[in-house]
Amino acid sequence: MAKNHPPNRKEADMPDSLKSAVTDFQTKFLAFDIDAIPKATRDLLSAGCGLSDFLTACIPCMEEIGNKFEAGEYYLPQLVVAGEMFKIASRQVKAVAATDSGCKYIGKIVLATPKGDIHDLGKDIFAVLAEASGFSVQNVGVDIEPKILVQEIEKTGATILGLSCLLTTTYASVRETVRLLEEKGLRNSTRIVIGGGATEKSLVEKLGVDAQTRDAYEGIGIIKSWAAQTGSDIETKEAVA
Amino acid sequence: MNSAKRIYPKDSMTAQQRFDAAVRLETPDRVPLSLMLYYFAPVYAGVSMHQYMADPGTYASVMKKVWEEVGPWDIYYNIHPVSRLIYSYVLMMRTLWPGYELAEDEMAKVEEITYMNPEDYDSVIDGPELLGDTLFRLRMLGRFCKEAEGAGIASLATRMIIHLARQVRNWRKDFKWWREQGAAIQIGCQAEMPFDTFSQARNVLNFSMDLMRTPEKIGQASTRLAASYATFSVTVARLMGVPTVQCYCHRSSNSFISPKQFEELALPGLEVVVNRIVDAGMTPILHCDGDWLKNLPSMRRLPAGKVVLQLDGLTDIFRAKEVIGDRMCIFGDVPAALLAEGTPTEVGEYCHRLIEEVGKGGGFILAAGCEVPPNAKAECVRAMVDAVKKYGYYGERVSPPVAA
Repeated sequence: MAKNHPPNRKEADMPDSLKSAVTDFQTKFLAFDIDAIPKATRDLLSAGCGLSDFLTACIPCMEEIGNKFEAGEYYLPQLVVAGEMFKIASRQVKAVAATDSGCKYIGKIVLATPKGDIHDLGKDIFAVLAEASGFSVQNVGVDIEPKILVQEIEKTGATILGLSCLLTTTYASVRETVRLLEEKGLRNSTRIVIGGGATEKSLVEKLGVDAQTRDAYEGIGIIKSWAAQTGSDIETKEAVA
Repeated sequence: MNSAKRIYPKDSMTAQQRFDAAVRLETPDRVPLSLMLYYFAPVYAGVSMHQYMADPGTYASVMKKVWEEVGPWDIYYNIHPVSRLIYSYVLMMRTLWPGYELAEDEMAKVEEITYMNPEDYDSVIDGPELLGDTLFRLRMLGRFCKEAEGAGIASLATRMIIHLARQVRNWRKDFKWWREQGAAIQIGCQAEMPFDTFSQARNVLNFSMDLMRTPEKIGQASTRLAASYATFSVTVARLMGVPTVQCYCHRSSNSFISPKQFEELALPGLEVVVNRIVDAGMTPILHCDGDWLKNLPSMRRLPAGKVVLQLDGLTDIFRAKEVIGDRMCIFGDVPAALLAEGTPTEVGEYCHRLIEEVGKGGGFILAAGCEVPPNAKAECVRAMVDAVKKYGYYGERVSPPVAA
């Protein structure tokens, strides 16, 4: 949790009826019982769950799935289905909880596939995992021009930019985005992580970004560590080994 | 000049002999080189991607220029699509082309759309084995391919035969020039494997849920189509006069599925395909994108000295050599990022390491990981050519490579 933000309510501080609904929701979630998620989410809402409580319920589930993914016990299908369950439940909760008031995000991130590439799978998985990990996510789309990315950073006040690169033809867009951020005076306040099949660690320095991730969960670890440092040491370059 | 022509003066084998020896896991005179530079070539030559893809004459002149100025090399990577219909049939994805759906200078792209329903697994399982894969593809084509929209199976099959005949005629004419230069031809037929086609056709989310809900149907359906896939591929490869089948396995890696799912659901069909192609006297080239390392132990049951394993840079190729190098010829894997952003020295050092470690004792073909990207530096591509000339001859000792 970011040190600058007060934490959302912990599960232990919830009323018993909500605690019970959360436990049931988490059981269904960890069993990948996607058909049971709408009902489990309705039960959460009936028990008085708001958006912040919902994130409190989801974060440990996503962490457990992430740990199993990192350990090689789970693979992409589990990540994808977990992401979809989160999206289904999140839509229901947001429809009832009209605003985000009371919900503390640990960071804001703008995500896109840069100009030159239309792949969206990895980006979309990362978007859901980031949201389920407590980030406010602006998923801009695919084949996005650098100037649009910079506008999104300005508009949202995001401090993190995630770029998904499945083709080497995106490199020029990444470079141009970095240049535009520098020109606008936003580079020092924006950390950039790249990921995808066309990326490797050596590109951190060559493209002028801050980190590269080999998979979605490593990427979540990177942006969480950045969120935890918000406001300090923002200029430090990191090539995550 | 003919295919007996040597590529470089010091060669003692032809390119075809070198390729065949590598497949048999023997030690050729030197490491063979395949430059898979389809998308790099027009950028290098300064020709629009649309003109290059739409006009066979432009394509031929561009490739000739690259051969003369960047090459020569051993193995010609022939993926130029003469017919959009045939291209969709083999890839089984909606494709966006420069000059059609995209601007003239853009690179062709694939768009993932969902065109297969859960009931289609049952139709495949309950359908005929004979021509099963062909009928499945024809049935699906109208759902995602503009050229096939609204067509019945019979009329589509007729159009396919006409387009295929045109494609084969064009290719055989093209191959003549390459063989005169001494090059071996890489691909007799190419197509996405059934398991991987299902993953693309259902989309990743639906397919992930299918893997959890009805995994046995995926396994049964992909195995059901395997024999027909092999029959079609071998027939086309015979028509092309090139005894290889490039089998695309874009969705079977551990980047998508677990080793257990691979072994239980994808490998049985893959094994049928490989054995049938081998029984026909041909070589399957398994185009394995993603990380395959944990799948390799179960793939050891495929026939030894008959199969090429093509890696794209995401599998640890050095570990792959240890795990399966005594069973399969390994093909790869200079990363696209290195060719686009590296220096000729870096490329040369990486090729040197590949040649010394993965090429040790033979059974190795040097190539780019997946493909040479369109924005590769020409001097980096030339560094691959220089590396096989400098380090690739098996009879010579050179200084050990720089450790990565």
